[in-house]
Amino acid sequence: MTILTVALKYLRGRPVASALTIVSIALGVSLMVASVLLARGIKEGFIAGTTDYNLVVGAKGSPMQLVLGVVFRMDLATPNIEYTIYRDLQQDPRVETAVPIGMGDAYRGFRYVATNGAYFAAFPWRRKTFALAAGRFFAEDQQSEPTYEALLGAEAARSTGLQIGDRFYEGEEMAEYPLTVVGILRSTHSADDRAIFFSLPSYWGMNEIARGMAIKPLTAVLIRPRRMSDLPSLHRELNVAAETQAVLPSGVLLTIFNMMAVAEDVLRMILAIVGVIVLLYVFVSMYSATIERRREIATMRALGARRATVLGIILTESAALATAGGLGGIVGGHAVAYFAGSLLGPSGLVTSHSLFNVFDPAVLASVILLGTLAGLLPAVLAYRTEVAENLAPLS
Amino acid sequence: MSTRSAVVLRQVKKEFSLGDGVNLEVLDVEHLALPVGSCTALRGRSGSGKTTLLNLIAGVAAPSGGTILVGDTDVFALSEARRDRFRAEHVGYVFQTFNLLSAFNALENVMLAMMFAETVPTRLQRRHAADLLARLGLAERLAHKPQQLSRGEQQRVAIARALANSPPLVLADEPCASLDASTASEVLATFLAFCRQEEKTLLLVSHDEAALGKADQVFDMAELNRAETRKAPA
Repeated sequence: MTILTVALKYLRGRPVASALTIVSIALGVSLMVASVLLARGIKEGFIAGTTDYNLVVGAKGSPMQLVLGVVFRMDLATPNIEYTIYRDLQQDPRVETAVPIGMGDAYRGFRYVATNGAYFAAFPWRRKTFALAAGRFFAEDQQSEPTYEALLGAEAARSTGLQIGDRFYEGEEMAEYPLTVVGILRSTHSADDRAIFFSLPSYWGMNEIARGMAIKPLTAVLIRPRRMSDLPSLHRELNVAAETQAVLPSGVLLTIFNMMAVAEDVLRMILAIVGVIVLLYVFVSMYSATIERRREIATMRALGARRATVLGIILTESAALATAGGLGGIVGGHAVAYFAGSLLGPSGLVTSHSLFNVFDPAVLASVILLGTLAGLLPAVLAYRTEVAENLAPLS
Repeated sequence: MSTRSAVVLRQVKKEFSLGDGVNLEVLDVEHLALPVGSCTALRGRSGSGKTTLLNLIAGVAAPSGGTILVGDTDVFALSEARRDRFRAEHVGYVFQTFNLLSAFNALENVMLAMMFAETVPTRLQRRHAADLLARLGLAERLAHKPQQLSRGEQQRVAIARALANSPPLVLADEPCASLDASTASEVLATFLAFCRQEEKTLLLVSHDEAALGKADQVFDMAELNRAETRKAPA
């Protein structure tokens, strides 16, 4: 028999208390792990969504509304700009890639996004890749002959149940311009999963006002400059222009992260309180176990156990509880983050689905250390148990 | 009975502080010697210092004065850690209320005592504990927890635990006081026979006349403990 086997025996001897302590540690740890992973995942999601393009050009207004609306579909679309702005930018020698975006209504909550093939192109600098799960991309049709072909994001297809060849529209007034599903995208774990894509000519054809406009409208243009040194001049010129603003997504990202930092501080405080409560729970659990067991501790001492041995038994029990709770918490935290990430992913908040990482051993070591410390006072109590006093027969 | 002494007490006193500089004297033994391999019985009224005397000899309570030798070792000249190890290897203790550990089964309770000494190699501890329990008639009860055993069986487990490290000295504090008469008689007979067979020195606290009758020497605390004598009404 060793200190470890004695400690484990004692833990098994009070299964309900041990299980409750492990569960409480696991809940606390999983809450912390899940919060950290989700916060990191949300940041990574924002970064992933905004780093493919260096500029977002749209109508004058709120820069954040423009980025959130166009990139994450999390806000109302900004007013329109003229299609000629896209044409001019396409011709601009400083621009490597310009992608037009037209934000439309929605079908059963899934936003219409009009664009062209460039949006899905596999440029070497792109983080995101698009692949078809079924069908094909919509046709690059002519303004005079819109095809009304739709490409569905993975979540949009799953939720609506639309299949290749299905025709759909929302609202009786759109019955004349039904869209036909020609393709379904694989999941990208981004806001694109919840979008319904089609061509700009189809977009203009579906809209009564746009049909009558000589210069067709757009919501935004995504820009990738040839050289990063061209970015400031493009940014300045487009902002100086009367009808446009150019937004650096990285700047909006900083604003978002600054806003998140306040929430993170609150979250950190809540997590610290949760941590203290969990530690108190371990302490109370071990303290009451030690009090209940004083007679048995005295018996062990009378049998020849050294003070250090009983100290070691209590500390080992605490460490074992913390280890089990910590492991459960890390696994649980990753599971919660994974499922929460799966739920939030299509809404535009891409979360990291990475499995266990290098920080997990550090988290586990911290939990074991703190859990063991929580058992220190009960262990000292056991250490100081007066043998003769506690051996007296129970009356 | 040997002429050598397994235990010798000289001028041993035990006082408890009542605060404000007032001490309560509970034990004052001028001299006590237990020959090697003997069975010595102690009797006396409740509170006469019997358990205190056993605790002093076991080294779990420190005397206020005097010398306690177990074998040739002055128990209280040892550091506490060494005294713990000495107790594990040289003294077996049987308690009135058995004091078995509830989370452990019979076999584990006996093995636990071996954890604190180095008398039985680790790989042999399980077999040694099982053999001891079998000799005490508990071969079928090895995996039973204390609460699944009768009181007589519990006390036999406690006896096996006390003998687990083959200590030369065994202290038994009213080992049969919690048992009914027939069980007490059976357990005591087994215990005494075992100690005789193993040539243990046994110091037994008991009020049972049958037990006292089987002892080589009997001390009455009223005579042995001078603190008791001083308390007695003139």
